[in-house]
Amino acid sequence: MTRVRRVAVSSPQTRLAHARGRARGRWRVPALDPGDAERAAALYRRQRAIGLPVLLALAGLLLGLPLVFTAWPALDTVRLLGVPVSWLLLAVLPYPAMALLAFAQLRAAERAERRR
Amino acid sequence: MAALAAVALVVLGTLLIGVRGVAALRTTSDFLVASRRVSPLLNSAAVSGEYLSAASFLGVAGLFVKDGVGALWYPVGFTAGYVAMLVLVAAPMRRTGALTVPDFAEARLASPALRRITAVVVLVIGGLYAVPQFSAAGQVLAAVTTWPYWAGVVIAGAAVSVTLALGGMRAATYVQAFQFGLKLLLFIVPAVWLVAQAGPEVRTAALHPVEFTRFAADTPVSFQTDAVLLVDEPTPVHRPDGTADVLTSGRHAVAAGTVLVFPEGAAVPETGGGPPPGGDDWARPLLDPNDTGHPVLGTWAVLIATALGTMGLPHVLMRFHTSPDGRAARRTAAITVALLGVFYLFPGVYGALGRVLVPELYLSGATDTVVVALPSRVDPGWGGTVMTSLLTMGAFAAFLATSLGLLLVMSGAIAHDLLPGGLRGLRITVVPVAAVTVLLALQAAAIDAGTLVTWGFTVAASTFCPLLVLGIWWPRLTTAGAITGVLTGLLASCGAIAVALFGPPVDGVWGLLVTRPAPWSVPLAFAATAAVSLCGRPAPWSRAALLRLHLDEDTRARGTGRRPG
Repeated sequence: MTRVRRVAVSSPQTRLAHARGRARGRWRVPALDPGDAERAAALYRRQRAIGLPVLLALAGLLLGLPLVFTAWPALDTVRLLGVPVSWLLLAVLPYPAMALLAFAQLRAAERAERRR
Repeated sequence: MAALAAVALVVLGTLLIGVRGVAALRTTSDFLVASRRVSPLLNSAAVSGEYLSAASFLGVAGLFVKDGVGALWYPVGFTAGYVAMLVLVAAPMRRTGALTVPDFAEARLASPALRRITAVVVLVIGGLYAVPQFSAAGQVLAAVTTWPYWAGVVIAGAAVSVTLALGGMRAATYVQAFQFGLKLLLFIVPAVWLVAQAGPEVRTAALHPVEFTRFAADTPVSFQTDAVLLVDEPTPVHRPDGTADVLTSGRHAVAAGTVLVFPEGAAVPETGGGPPPGGDDWARPLLDPNDTGHPVLGTWAVLIATALGTMGLPHVLMRFHTSPDGRAARRTAAITVALLGVFYLFPGVYGALGRVLVPELYLSGATDTVVVALPSRVDPGWGGTVMTSLLTMGAFAAFLATSLGLLLVMSGAIAHDLLPGGLRGLRITVVPVAAVTVLLALQAAAIDAGTLVTWGFTVAASTFCPLLVLGIWWPRLTTAGAITGVLTGLLASCGAIAVALFGPPVDGVWGLLVTRPAPWSVPLAFAATAAVSLCGRPAPWSRAALLRLHLDEDTRARGTGRRPG
């Protein structure tokens, strides 16, 4: 009777994951071929140009709103549908504003990656 | 009792979905990121589900009652974090192919030392974030049942570790997405019901805050933790067993487990932890709970910590790796902004009603339970019981969702980055990590969920934010610079938190900067990283390592022959 040695059969993905666990520390120098490097550099600059204004708008909205509340305390007493306007500006306004900002950024970022 | 059944239902549901995922569980990679085959919408529901913790479900409304309308800045910052994430890290981070921040550190800078340091930071952030989840679970159970605080904490810990050890992240992705829907429903329906049921008088009172100085009715206050009362005028109280007592003017220590009933019309004692809810400062939409006189700086501090800390939360970052590629990761972030925006419209409703109906929670420091305490105040009958059960269910779902992700990421850091290990190691590590978190939570009952979570955000903003942002956008970053920056941010933020917890009380603007260090610790970490990097030389491959992160997937699949993910 021959003893059959059992071998684990696994998908390439599984083997890759196992290899990753063992190969820690063996690290390869990242390299890009020239065409890719050019495209990557262009995308890097483009995405940076798209992202900066979005971040500035976000910072302006978030850091500016407390200043508005300080400058115009009257917003606490003016009421819209019974709710102080300053409460509405804080509890409601930022969310649609940020969602719009996010989707505008998403569209611009995806358009930049579109191939001609 | 109904509330208990609801909790059991959530725990069982989570376990079932967890066990169902076991068949598919094969490798470490499976366990950690569910093999990266999740659509952006499902994934953003999972991200939101993971992110909406007990701090969001309970903590924001609690802080609203305690600190005032300005508490609504917290959810604004929580949401803004995803806009920052979308712009700065989502797609490039996914393209590194790294599973965690320590992986990213190694992929971008090839430094095993930095890998270990970031793994330690993961443990710090995870701990600061997980402990309040467990403590909130315990408080909620104590509030809706007669059980002690510790029982709730222990049950919560057991449920989470069993689910994780059985199912891992594949389970967690479905669990989280399911739980986001559940939480959204369980938060919105009771809110609408409360507003409708409360009646016009309460609704008007909610929008016209007055300072809480006299008890409006005979009010029992149940102290789950030791508390201090500062009494101005002699106040008669009695205990549930009928014994009467008079609190003389001065300072009174109240032991945990005490119940005091204050009569109608009695003056409300102070707690020394800020003014009572409802005053003029309370109604201002700015954050200055300790009356430092710098409300704008106080608000900015919270915003900086939460908005920049989000991108450094290890359990959220890992969630982005379940996207198939960078583009899907970016979409996930954008959809998440919208999903969170819907949820965060509602904590203010609970807070405003809570200030009118249960302001006495501020005396016992149990403001975190305001959400579950409300329904029975509005309707003592079966309607209130049903709504309390629904909210308890939601709070437990919130707690489970977040702690699943946190424990996973903490055990990942130990088993994967600090020790050599595979799937077995990872599964076994979950249990001790949960045990330690439970032990810490038993000690931390007295600290607000919101405060601890914000500290977690502050540490993330001071360590991982500079590392990720500069690692992705600045080719000159060196390993030495990154290590210096992470250590500087870690020491600065943790040092400030330690002083705030154990040090002498500090007043004024310095006190503000100690309890909320983000405005100086984040720039300091960026500056330290940049300064040390500029003194050294980046590795020759540094530019290629950076550009690789900005190359969209099609090209990469063609160019290098590697499948994305």
